[in-house]
Amino acid sequence: MRASELVDSERGAIDRRIFWDTSIYERELKQIFARCWLFVAHESQLEAPGAFLTTYMGEDSVIVTRGDDLGINVFLNSCPHRGNRVCFADSGHGRSFTCNYHGWSFNLEGNLKKMPKIGLYKATPGFRMEDWGLKRARVGSYKGLVFATFDETAPTLEAWLGDFRWYLDAVLDAEEGGTEFLPGGATRSVLQCNWKFPADNFSGDIYHALWTHLGGSEPTLGRHGGVVVQNTGSYQVSVNGHGWEFNDSFLGNAATMGDRDLLRYMKSRRDAITTRLGKFRADMWGSVASATIFPNFAFLPGYFTFRTFQPKGPAKTEIHAWTLVPKAMPDDIKDRFRRGSMRTFSPSGILEMDDGENWEHSTRANAGYVTRHQNLCYAMAPEGQLHDKSLPGVVHSGQLSDANQRLFYRKWAELMDGENWSDIPLSPSTMDRAEAAE
Amino acid sequence: MNAMEKPDYGTYPTLTFDAARHAAQRLLTLNGAGAPAADAMLLRIERFYRMEARLLDSEDFRAWYDLLADDLFYWAPLRENRFRRDKRPLLDPGHMALFDERKADIAVRIGRLASNLVWTEDPPTRHVYIIGNVEAFETEIAGEFETHSTFVQYRNRSEHDEATLFGRRRDILRVYNESFQIVQRLILLPQATLLTKNLTTFF
Repeated sequence: MRASELVDSERGAIDRRIFWDTSIYERELKQIFARCWLFVAHESQLEAPGAFLTTYMGEDSVIVTRGDDLGINVFLNSCPHRGNRVCFADSGHGRSFTCNYHGWSFNLEGNLKKMPKIGLYKATPGFRMEDWGLKRARVGSYKGLVFATFDETAPTLEAWLGDFRWYLDAVLDAEEGGTEFLPGGATRSVLQCNWKFPADNFSGDIYHALWTHLGGSEPTLGRHGGVVVQNTGSYQVSVNGHGWEFNDSFLGNAATMGDRDLLRYMKSRRDAITTRLGKFRADMWGSVASATIFPNFAFLPGYFTFRTFQPKGPAKTEIHAWTLVPKAMPDDIKDRFRRGSMRTFSPSGILEMDDGENWEHSTRANAGYVTRHQNLCYAMAPEGQLHDKSLPGVVHSGQLSDANQRLFYRKWAELMDGENWSDIPLSPSTMDRAEAAE
Repeated sequence: MNAMEKPDYGTYPTLTFDAARHAAQRLLTLNGAGAPAADAMLLRIERFYRMEARLLDSEDFRAWYDLLADDLFYWAPLRENRFRRDKRPLLDPGHMALFDERKADIAVRIGRLASNLVWTEDPPTRHVYIIGNVEAFETEIAGEFETHSTFVQYRNRSEHDEATLFGRRRDILRVYNESFQIVQRLILLPQATLLTKNLTTFF
């Protein structure tokens, strides 16, 4: 069955089998996770040559390194000899990766450099070391965020992110000097849910906050309705399936961390950020907002938690989360973000703890044959599309809407059905045209 | 507490940045170097831990909160898989954590649970918290004891939802009103990837 028959992005009806069916999940690994640009690291995690970390692209384990040429390399973490995992550490520093099984050893670029009794291979007709390196991915980066893809035919990262970059600058370029991930590795936790539920949620579902997070926001915002969300002064923006819903409150998300000194600091930066980004994007910096970079990389302005929803089967997802701050931020404010993002959006976070059970049962219910042959309702469309030429992408006014989620699933279906990238429409980037004209 | 009046958590007990770092460093150095506590004191400490576990199992968070000292430092660092040759400290108070709390932060968490608006705790989770391997040592401060213990924390809710967490705790306990207060607590969970979706719980 074609994916486009499972997703009615005009009416907002989504066939529930896409959250449960094993064959659909396997096709996602091929059509989406083996083709799209996937987030793998922040450059600050790999500062010195020899720095490495391990992560996943789909279900493929990969090693990310900083090479001697300062370039970033991404390659499979599986020995081409008998297939064992090559690196078992989450992060570290070194010159080579040696497989535990037979001792094959690979350099920072993933090339096979040596193995025990190398003479046996030298005596093997036709054997060439260069044929048996760790398979490399293409690597690209945007303002500190490093992405990779195993698809040689994929469009450039710039084309894939397109005009979403203009909005990304609201969190990646608000302050001079770039950004960094706070130290300490990824916060990792396992949910028994399909990866698309958290991904679609972050792309455009502020609606759930009004009910799901009543309890979590009560201590810091006050009883009932502390989360102020309305469709004036708020937007949903979608580019190539990436989605960002936001309002113009500047620090609405940050307020739920309940740290007055931190809010005071953020307010003190408002004028400078406005000068740097203009009022529209400055107001997005810490506002009531959430975003997903298609397919599975998401973040929350204000808390500045960035996370991947790593697929581990149709009904299992691992969240890997980090906190991103401007490098120039004072150390004590960084520490307040470290603790504030943890207390709200981590496995112990007063807001994140509200979410997991919803996504698990949205997934698990589809074990029922009749249940999974129903549709889910992504129909909410109270406001129309906004045709304001100063705002790139597909913009809807009002953040309370399912607009971004419908466009997330439209892109999902295009990728699932499209055999070639030429079958998958990407929005032309007006940013590059503007830059070229300068 | 008036239900309609929001507590001002900004006025609740907390620590300065430096005091918190100092507390973390103290926890990191606890290794049973002091004289073992007398048997009678060890018995009192074990009795305290059994009572504490019962309060948490029965969701009596207000009574549990009263066991916490105003200068509480409560820390569950993230665990990482690192090669043995890696020179970086395994536990670093400046790193991301699962809990890194002062008494005011615990009050916020209890406020969430007390709001009666946390749908994912209704119907409630059932808890069993088992404390074992309790050791206690005197410290350089009279009336403060260093303890080490292990735990099993089992949670079950709904039909099939369960989580079992094992771990180690290091505490500084302060003698207080014929009982104890928890001054510092280090919670070491062995899981580098938390194999459950949340930590809607206290340790």
